[in-house]
Amino acid sequence: MGSSLPPKEANLFKLIAKSYETKQYKKGLKAADQILKKFPEHGETLAMKGLTLNCMDSKAEAYELVRKGLKNDLKSHVCWHVYGLLYRSDREYREAIKCYRNALRIDPENIQILRDLSLLQAQMRDLGGYVETCRTLLTLKPNHRNYWIAFAIAHHLNKEPSKAVDILIAYEGTLEEDYPPDNERYEHSEMLLYKISLLEEAGDLEKALEELNNKLVKIVDKLGAKEIQASLLLKLHRYKEAEKSYVNLLEINSENHRYHEGLKKSLGISVENGTEGVDTVTKLTDLYSDLQRKYPKSVAMKRIPLDFLEIGSFRSAVDEYMRPLLRKGVPSLFSDLKSLYSQPGKAHVLEEILLGYESSLRMNGSFPGSTEQEPPSTLLWTLFLLGQHFDRRHAFDKALQKINEAILHTPTVIDLYLMKGRIFKHAGDALAAAALADEARSMDLADRFLNSECVKRMLQADQVEQAEKTASLFTKDGDQHNNLYDMQCMWYELASGDSYYRQGLLGKALKKYLAVEKHYADMVEDQFDFHTYCIRKMTLRAYVHMLRFQDHLHSHRFFHQAAISAIRCYLRLFDSPPKSAAEEEEAAMRGMAPAEKKKLRQKQRKEAARAKKQEAEEKLKEEEAAFSSSNKGGKKGSQPPKTADTDPDGEKLLQVEDPLGEATKYLKLLQDHSSEVLETHLLAFEIYMRKKKYLLALQALKRQLKLGLESPDVHRCIIRFFNDVDNLPPPSTDSGKLVNSVIELERSCFKSIESKTLLQANESFLNMNKDSLRHRAAAAEVLFLLAPEQKSTAVEILESSVCSHSAGGGEIAEGVPSWGLKDCCLVYDIFSNTLKDLDAASRWKSRCADLFPFSTFFNGVKSSATCGSENYTYCRKMQASQPPGPLAANGHLPDFSALKIIS
Amino acid sequence: MGRAHEVPVSFDNVRDKNMMQLTKLNLVIFPVKYDGRYYSDALAAGDFSKLVYYGDICVGSIACRVERVSATTVKLYIMTFGILAPYRRLGIGAKLMGHILDVCHKNATVLEIYLHVQTNNEEALAFYRNFGFEVREKIENYYTDIEPPDCYLLVKELSRILKGRNTT
Ligand SMILES: CC(C)(COP(=O)(O)OP(=O)(O)OC[C@H]1O[C@@H](n2cnc3c(N)ncnc32)[C@H](O)[C@@H]1OP(=O)(O)O)[C@@H](O)C(=O)NCCC(=O)NCCS
Repeated sequence: MGSSLPPKEANLFKLIAKSYETKQYKKGLKAADQILKKFPEHGETLAMKGLTLNCMDSKAEAYELVRKGLKNDLKSHVCWHVYGLLYRSDREYREAIKCYRNALRIDPENIQILRDLSLLQAQMRDLGGYVETCRTLLTLKPNHRNYWIAFAIAHHLNKEPSKAVDILIAYEGTLEEDYPPDNERYEHSEMLLYKISLLEEAGDLEKALEELNNKLVKIVDKLGAKEIQASLLLKLHRYKEAEKSYVNLLEINSENHRYHEGLKKSLGISVENGTEGVDTVTKLTDLYSDLQRKYPKSVAMKRIPLDFLEIGSFRSAVDEYMRPLLRKGVPSLFSDLKSLYSQPGKAHVLEEILLGYESSLRMNGSFPGSTEQEPPSTLLWTLFLLGQHFDRRHAFDKALQKINEAILHTPTVIDLYLMKGRIFKHAGDALAAAALADEARSMDLADRFLNSECVKRMLQADQVEQAEKTASLFTKDGDQHNNLYDMQCMWYELASGDSYYRQGLLGKALKKYLAVEKHYADMVEDQFDFHTYCIRKMTLRAYVHMLRFQDHLHSHRFFHQAAISAIRCYLRLFDSPPKSAAEEEEAAMRGMAPAEKKKLRQKQRKEAARAKKQEAEEKLKEEEAAFSSSNKGGKKGSQPPKTADTDPDGEKLLQVEDPLGEATKYLKLLQDHSSEVLETHLLAFEIYMRKKKYLLALQALKRQLKLGLESPDVHRCIIRFFNDVDNLPPPSTDSGKLVNSVIELERSCFKSIESKTLLQANESFLNMNKDSLRHRAAAAEVLFLLAPEQKSTAVEILESSVCSHSAGGGEIAEGVPSWGLKDCCLVYDIFSNTLKDLDAASRWKSRCADLFPFSTFFNGVKSSATCGSENYTYCRKMQASQPPGPLAANGHLPDFSALKIIS
Repeated sequence: MGRAHEVPVSFDNVRDKNMMQLTKLNLVIFPVKYDGRYYSDALAAGDFSKLVYYGDICVGSIACRVERVSATTVKLYIMTFGILAPYRRLGIGAKLMGHILDVCHKNATVLEIYLHVQTNNEEALAFYRNFGFEVREKIENYYTDIEPPDCYLLVKELSRILKGRNTT
């Protein structure tokens, strides 16, 4: 390095490098300038100066200098390395890898560059390259433990676990007999466990078990070793020994459900949920009555049988299970029992038992058939559970009745208010749900969970401003109003994005959805530090687990939701290109009462004024900051100033040139990571149809068919596709003709339209799915699409739908309408927006208002949308009494002015 | 018949963050609505205002006002004392009162505790008598909106107890 320079300058050059490593950038810069005074064209110095400037936030200048340095000295590995570092700092890993490779061509054995390269290869999953780099490193430094380990990991990731094992064995060969010393026992043990997991992955179970048994004394994680041993025995079909191992494990922790699974398997009891034969049930019953005797205090021993017992024995088992938990007051009891509701008849049994508890507790203060006096709280928890029970069975009236009785009994239990809010949400009154969550929040202002729950409900009720204020009670960070973005608080971003979307504010919605996408990009980035850290710390199993988790990161629910919603925004942007701000406001106010509109306008005016003021202040601040930093120069250790968000409302996102292009970006991620989800291919279809890419649309259609043969959405897409294609003008180009012939060939894949006209296909679809509202909705919509003149028939299809009522044997309680609220809203939308029959829409609305009395959408009589209803009064009261903000932050004394002393 | 399930009782101070619990209790226990003055007095009384918990459930409270008598002495006025109806006659009220009396003993500045009880409130009268409260006088037409409008003034002098203790 710094060769070609005279001694004095060569020393100065070393100083630059050292200053860079110790982050003393000013010092480094000074040294560089000293050299450049004498040798203004010295390439490596120019490059190093650029690298230093990069750390002082002069990006443009940095690139300029580094490139110039490289041009002056193309043969210097330093220049190439520096160029790579520069790219790496900007997360341009592919470019960085290229630079490192050039550097290595000049200096093939440079350890530092090889190491930097290997990290990037791991990050980018350039696995072949990673293996090679690790091989070179190990060859150069065979005494270095970490290079052995990295070499093994590289092979493992490259799907060669047995090679990885060989490497680890070779590594062990280099160790002394008495290895490890005390201070490395843990690391060595992790290495051994990693090796065992590799053997297992390579399919050599015998060897894995043998190795485990041989090295048992050296393994620190004793419990982990026992678990691996048991699972290996099971996989080797050595059932007797496996059974013994699992019995031992249960001795250690009888609540671990994995041990239960293992024990059952080693006894040859197949445990496919819900499909147990009589034989299996008898075996399981015997097993668990034994276990219960052995572990009388274990909850799992009593809970697990509830899953497999037949109704008769279920009754007494669940009875015995619930009593102590109701007595103790376990608020989570319902979520523990929830999975039972999908099993036929069990919901009904639970209902009978619980109602029996209630009446006995009210009459005698004891459980049925017992003389023991229960604490008063037992009745409270029974009522709470009954409320959740009826909610689960969609009997919202009864659910509310029980919760109200519980509140009357003990009005201080916060869970009751939360639950009541949830019932309202399920019944279709988001406003009342938000008001109740807010009341729950007011009962313990120090509870962050209550705050979050309340914020979420407010967003669901489209009270975005209030939600933000409420959230900021906990999230205020210095002068930052809200640091939810930095906290990667994705539920919040998704919920507020959804609310903006409902309100037609696509810019703001997109802003939130894209923020979620950025978090995922950051998470991918976050791996970087672990490539060195985990190998150094030898947490190898966890490391590989983390890498695999990262490979599937984008299939996570939150990403999925964000991507789907962003695509919907772009589709809407494409269908109705950006409106001016005034029009957008119009959209937000549609459907508001005139008085509300006026209030909103006033608020907006005030907001605009405030925003303007704030903007001016911020600008001033920025200028001041720029001024002071230019005076002081890059102060050591000073944080780079956060670049202010120049588009807080997503206005610029609305101006996107090619919305379909943007949508396609997110679609690709969905196709790669959520290909088993129908929605992915429904959206793909929408995008490609708009792009007129018929073959891709066809492909999406075929994937839909695989996932949702019966789905009404798929039916819609099929008919739309062939209707569009059939009505295209005859193709004039060769490629056009080719496309057409492919489509013709593929037509036979779609059985539902085989040898039928599309209209006939739609009719038979309707006939086959007469009893489903969702299918009828699709049929009506499609009919109108194919034959607009048959509009009245379409209306008739919808209006003649019959809503049946549940008989009460299954999950849903007796007498509850079988239609879902969401589907009914969808039908309303078809009446008013597709068919544009406002009379039919209003008839539908009043019909649904009867079915869903709590629904605000349909103005149900009990909903807060109906003036004079209980919920209406309650919501008004909550709105008036609880302005969130500084008052609430101060502990929110109930509004005193409104309360009067009577005595 | 047995009550095999002993549930632990504990106490917590009234703070601005849990004030709503006190409001919820008063709403169902007392026929009277309380104003901001009541809540700020209750807060200011510090250790003399308490919420009482039955397991994890808040089931009752005492809210006091501390009235200065001299530079070193105060009187304690019990504004409200109540246990939720389903949780009465379990000894919770007695534990709460016992706790407050302990606090008073540790804090020698309290000369006396007093309160008003509606004349027909037999259970409260029986309850307070147990703790050595005495009827000082009957005040007619003390309440305006509830029947009967009369109340007793109940007092428990603490200095006498201290003196009594010293002589024995
Ligand atoms: C008064 C009150 C606080 C008592 O609370 P509690 O927790 O039920 O009281 P306890 O169980 O600790 O009772 C202690 C003793 O008080 C007496 N007592 C309490 N309630 C009584 C009643 N209804 N009848 C007769 N004596 C009673 C008994 O001597 C009892 O001891 P015992 O149960 O061993 O016989 C409760 O009834 C209440 O909240 N009432 C409404 C509010 C009110 O009136 N407050 C007083 C005015 S501020």
